[in-house]
Amino acid sequence: MTEFEQQLTRALERREPSAGFTSRVLTAASQQQPARPRWQALRWALVLRVAPVMAALLVVVGGALYQRHERVERGEVAKRQLLLAVKIAGAKLHDAQQRVVSIGEIRAAGIEEEQ
Amino acid sequence: MRKLLIWGLAAAFALPAWALDNIKMPVNLDKLAARATESVDVTLDASMLELASKFLSKDDPDEAQVKKLVSKLKGVYVRSFEFDKEGQYSLSDLESVRRQLKAPIWSRIVGVKSLKGENSEVYLQKDGSKIGGLVVIAAEPKELTIVHIDGPIDPEELSQLGGHMGIPNIGKSVKHESPKSGGKDQE
Repeated sequence: MTEFEQQLTRALERREPSAGFTSRVLTAASQQQPARPRWQALRWALVLRVAPVMAALLVVVGGALYQRHERVERGEVAKRQLLLAVKIAGAKLHDAQQRVVSIGEIRAAGIEEEQ
Repeated sequence: MRKLLIWGLAAAFALPAWALDNIKMPVNLDKLAARATESVDVTLDASMLELASKFLSKDDPDEAQVKKLVSKLKGVYVRSFEFDKEGQYSLSDLESVRRQLKAPIWSRIVGVKSLKGENSEVYLQKDGSKIGGLVVIAAEPKELTIVHIDGPIDPEELSQLGGHMGIPNIGKSVKHESPKSGGKDQE
């Protein structure tokens, strides 16, 4: 047997583990947290990427809804103002026309009396 | 420099046309609101009219009629004041409005003065053969109203609203009223 073979035999010869090796291994194994599943990691990555987009979308949709609400309110106010304006304009035109007609009738009655 | 001159000339020519469309309500009229028991201030330009028009229902006959009436208008302006006592405004308050309603653009079609101090004036803005605008000034002892309808309008269409929306029906009320309103004089 050569010296190299002797060294190899010594290196590969069976050795008993030190005392308490098994319990140490079992303790370490129980303390080690299980590896996070891949799908869970992906979900978090997705949430972190989507959250700002969703927030931006929420702001945009909220803003659009608020603008629509404002527009409806302004429109309703404008409509009420318009109806009021038409009512006043119509009433005042009516007054003027009524006065003119009344004067015409008075004059016509006067002419009939003279005749 | 030349461009500036061209723009200046364009603005100078455009100004009278702009001024025609915008009758300026005198500032002192707005001050009347403080003395008034009730005041109405309606300012609706073309964009606001368009917006208001969109909210008028097609199913409601009155609103449908108003929608049709205002479809061509450029603006509707109303200032109306009601006072609890007489003498709260002076006729000079109206002078600055009247000064803007001069011929040949404007013509007064109705001018009624009464001894009771109930005066009505109706002015029409000529736009060729069509009517380009309408101004009504109604001055009563305790009430003052100025209405300016800017744009093509048929007063007949407006009077057709009589009997609706709280506007008295012209034909009916005139027929039923006896001609005893003395002291009135038509100009």
